[in-house]
Parts: sequence; C-alpha cells; structure tokens
Amino acid sequence: MKSPVEVESPAPETEKTGLPLLRSWPAVYLFVLGSFVLWVALLVALTKIYS
Amino acid sequence: MNALDFVVLIGSMLGIALYGIWRTRGRRDLSAYLKGGHTPWFAIGLSVMATQASAVTFLSTPGQGYLGGLAFVQVYFGVPLALLIIAIFFVPVFRRLNVFTAYEFLGRRFDSKTRLLGAGLFLVQRGLGAGLTIYAPAIVLTTVFGWPLNLTIICSGLLVIIYTVAGGNDAVTVTQKYQLAIIFAGMITAFCLLVAKLPAGLTCADTLTLAGGLQKLNAVNFSPDLHERYTFWSGLLGGTFLMLSYFGTDQSQVQRYLSGESLREDRLGLMFNAVCKIPMQFCILFLGVLMFVFYQFEPAPLFFNPATSHALAMQDDGGNLRAYENDFDAAHIQTRQQLENWLAARHRGDQAAANEAFAAAAAARQQGEKIRLAANRELSSEKSATTANDADYVFITFILRQLPHGVIGLLVAAFFAATFSSKAAELNALSSSTTVDIYRQLIRRDATDAACVTASKWFTAGWGLLAIGFALCAHLAENLIQAVNILGSIFYGVMLGLFVVAFFLRRVGGTAVFWAALAAQTLVFVLFFGSAVSRYWQDFFGCACPGGRLLLKAAVISYLWYPLIGCAACVGFSLLLQSAILFGNLKRQT
Repeated sequence: MKSPVEVESPAPETEKTGLPLLRSWPAVYLFVLGSFVLWVALLVALTKIYS
Repeated sequence: MNALDFVVLIGSMLGIALYGIWRTRGRRDLSAYLKGGHTPWFAIGLSVMATQASAVTFLSTPGQGYLGGLAFVQVYFGVPLALLIIAIFFVPVFRRLNVFTAYEFLGRRFDSKTRLLGAGLFLVQRGLGAGLTIYAPAIVLTTVFGWPLNLTIICSGLLVIIYTVAGGNDAVTVTQKYQLAIIFAGMITAFCLLVAKLPAGLTCADTLTLAGGLQKLNAVNFSPDLHERYTFWSGLLGGTFLMLSYFGTDQSQVQRYLSGESLREDRLGLMFNAVCKIPMQFCILFLGVLMFVFYQFEPAPLFFNPATSHALAMQDDGGNLRAYENDFDAAHIQTRQQLENWLAARHRGDQAAANEAFAAAAAARQQGEKIRLAANRELSSEKSATTANDADYVFITFILRQLPHGVIGLLVAAFFAATFSSKAAELNALSSSTTVDIYRQLIRRDATDAACVTASKWFTAGWGLLAIGFALCAHLAENLIQAVNILGSIFYGVMLGLFVVAFFLRRVGGTAVFWAALAAQTLVFVLFFGSAVSRYWQDFFGCACPGGRLLLKAAVISYLWYPLIGCAACVGFSLLLQSAILFGNLKRQT
C-alpha cells in the first residue's frame, strides 16, 4: 500500500472562506468567539433574572 | 406503539440504510472508502454534529434538564474554544500530511511506538464506548416498551454494520444527513406539542418564573469548588480539554472533518459546530425544563423508570409502592393547587398572595421529593439491583403517555437514528485506525489498496460484533450520558497530551513522550479508582492506606477535570523525561 504523501496547499490563513460577510479567517474566528460570549451572557442573564 | 408507529420507525431506518448502501455502491479504492469523497462544509458540520450526538443525548439530556435544570449546558462551554484551536492548529497539519488517521501524524512526528500507543488508547476507549452507544438507548427503550433487550441490540447493531461495511466513510456521511433530519423533526415536534400541552393561561413569563423559582434555570454557576460537577470553570477549562481531546484526537471525529474537499470545508464544518453546539444543547435541556413545568400541573409517576417501580412493587405485595404513591400524589395535588393560586394571584397583580402561594407550592414539591427519596432509600436498603436512575426515562415516559401515535414512532425513530449515526462513525473510525495504524504497520506492510479495503471491511464487521457483544454484557450504574462522558474523560487527557507535545514542544522526542503518556495514564487511573481502592484498603486493614485520605479527596473531583489533569501530566512528564534524557546524553559525552 502506498504511504500518504504531503500535499501542497495554500497557506491556511490566506485561503478564502467563501462566506459573504466573513471573508477572512480571523473574522470567522471572531464571529465564533463573539457568538460564544453572547450565549454565555444570555445564559448568565437567564440565571440572574429567574433564579 | 401501534402499527403506524412501527411503519414510521422501520420504514425510516431501513430506508436510510438502503439509500446509504445504494448511494455508495462500488467504492473500491482505499482513499474513497476510508476518507470519503469531496464532502461540502455543511455536510461535514452535520456529520460532526451527528457523530457527537448519540441517542443518549436525545433520550437522557431532557431528563437531565427535568431533574437538574440547565446546569448541564456548562459542559459544552469548551466546545467553541476547542474547535477554534483545532481549526487553527490541528487541521492544517493533518491536511498537509495527507493522513488517514490522527495517529499517523504521531508516527511522523515521533516514532511508531508512540503512534501505536495513541491508536491503542483510541481503540480501547472507543471500542468500549461503541458498546455503550448501542446499549444505552436499547436498555431504555426495551424497559419502556417491553421489547427483548438482546434482540433489539443485535438487530440495530447488525443494520449499522451492514451499511457501514458496504459504503465505508461515504455511507456514514450520506446517512447521517437524513438521520439528523429525522432527529430534528422529532425533537421539534415534541417541543411544539409540549408547549401546546402546558396549562391554558400559563404565559412564557409565567413558565420561566415558575421554572426559575424552583431552581431549574440555574444555567451558569461561577463557584470555584472543584467538587461541584457542573460549573462555569469546569465547563470552560475542563470542558475545553475534554472537547479538544474528543474533536482533535478521537479518530471518529477526525475522520469526519478530514472528509472535506479542502481545508476550507473542514474548517467551516467545525466552525458550524462551534456556533451551534451550545444553543442546541440548551434547547434539548430546555425541553426537559418545560417537561418539569408540565408535570407540576399533571400527575407525574413516583419513578419514571418502570423497573424501579416494579422493584418497589415486589416488596410487601406492593403495599410499600401504593403507600409511597398515595403520599406522592397527595403532595402533587397540593403543589398543583398552590401553583394555580400563585398563577391567579400573579395575573391579578397581588404580589404578596403570589409569593405566599409560590412558597407553599415549593414546600409541597419539596415534600414530594422527600417521598421519592425515601422510596429510593428503601430500595437501596433492600440491596436491590435496581436504582432510581430516572433521568434516562423522563422523556420517553412523556412521549409515550402524552404524544399521539405516529409522533411516538417518529421520536423512537429519532433515537435509533441518533444511535446509528454515532455508531456508524465509531465503527468506521475503529476500522480505519485498525487498518492504517495496526494492520499495515504490524501485520502486512506490503498490503495493496484492495487488500486494505477488504481488511477494513472485516475490521468494521469485527468491531461492530465486538460492540454488540459488549452491549449484551453491559451493566450501568450511573446516568447514561455521564457514563459515556466519564469513559472518554479517563483516556482523552493523555491522548490530547500526546498531540499537544507533538504540535507545540518540538524538542521532545518519541521515547520521552511515550513513557510520559504511560505514566500520565496511570495517574488518571489512580485518581479514578483511588477512592474505591482506599475504601477496600480501609475495610480490609482497618486503617487508611498510604495517601488514602488524599486519594479519597482527589477521587471525588468532577470527571471534567480528568482530561486537563491527564494532558498536563503527559506534557509535564514529557518535559522532565526529555530533560533527563538530554542530561544523560551530555553526561555520557563528557
């Protein structure tokens, strides 16, 4: 069986995301972090308001 | 279940499996069979989600919400951070090296013994986990429906084996899309019907106030206490390590996202999960909270697990059970009356009367819980093999008693779909790792692609049969979803440690990391089994064993911390051993 070989690919951070608003990878990562912070904030608010 | 339910269940499960076999017929080359074709990012995202969410997620998590509220959502706080780290650091390296398995990377970075250790840890923990994946829903569904347990395990296990053997990785991805569609259709239908069944006049704000007042909306707990199982810190730190280990080093996940056409597809598939996982788990838990509210106005059984009620009914000719049930029903009627008073007072704006009624309702509910606990204690004192493990039975009891036929079939199909989707991914990953990391490394180094595909099919069938065998012998004590997570926590830390050293500590070599990993795994075993060992020691010798008190204290920490401990120990030991090796070499040279 052939062993796998290293493949040439564009530099990970320069490859396009193909998304309409989030065109660069740092923007995608910031969006993910932002949504995480938003969820935690909403859950904290739920805990504080109703408990 | 009636004929309509069985038509929905069997039709959907067989239909998806046959479609998977038909769509992937004629896969002959190894890369297509193990890695799959050119999967788009959305399909990768769904596949990653379907692999993680087993039937236990949908059966047991609403029960967690019913009994413990929203606190369990904190376990998933680590998911977005872990997936970010994997997308930035892990995936580009796996892609560049064009590997079939994550452990192949360990072989390139260190040596073959470290690769075998990584693959071995994966095969042991995932092999055991595969049995649990199939056993967990089977035990719940057979207890409730009275189906034969062994037959259910064997039939569902064989169906997964057949389509996974036939189509390999692509069959898993293709079927997971439709299985997830069945799951979401079932859960959304159950959610809508549950909301429609809440008492008339109970508004959204009333529902939240009622659930919050009875401590079911405590989603985030900032307590620094290590002994508390679900806190913000255990979720964020421990959970990040647990999820980093699971998504970054477990072949059942690595294989999912490496099936993309390019790095972009892999990364976007992971980011899709990073955004969706917390809201998805929140919704499933919130379903449990809504069931809790529903059962404040409708009679709930003393125990949701029918086996527990049966065990209690065996005592004293059923007199014990009747007595407990009568007391429990009386407490429930009192709770409902007080809650109706609370609702009326709240709607007419009489806050003082509302507070008074709510306090009385909470006290009556507390009384009901005491009765349930007393009944449970009596079962334990009788040394019955049955435990009141209710979380796994809450949702299925609600489905059977409250939902119409057809929907029951759809939801049972959803549970089986979830079992099949994660089981198929596990079998596919176990087979890939056995073929690539063991078979072609140790058994037949010169094997052709065709021979590897054939071997891979046999390994898939073998692991599937082993999982069925394990499921037939399985016996669980704790809540099922926790059992799955605990099993992963024991092994994942060290697996992650191997990868952290490989990625970030370039001066550490194979020998140091190999022995460090073995030492770290031993440490995690000591922590996990320490409590039991020191208790046996104390019973046998009448005194605490050396370090027994420390072990007892350490052993009760939340399982969410094990991945962090295992990983930190592996990294720390690696650095120490590498320094010792370098020092030894220098000394020999001088």
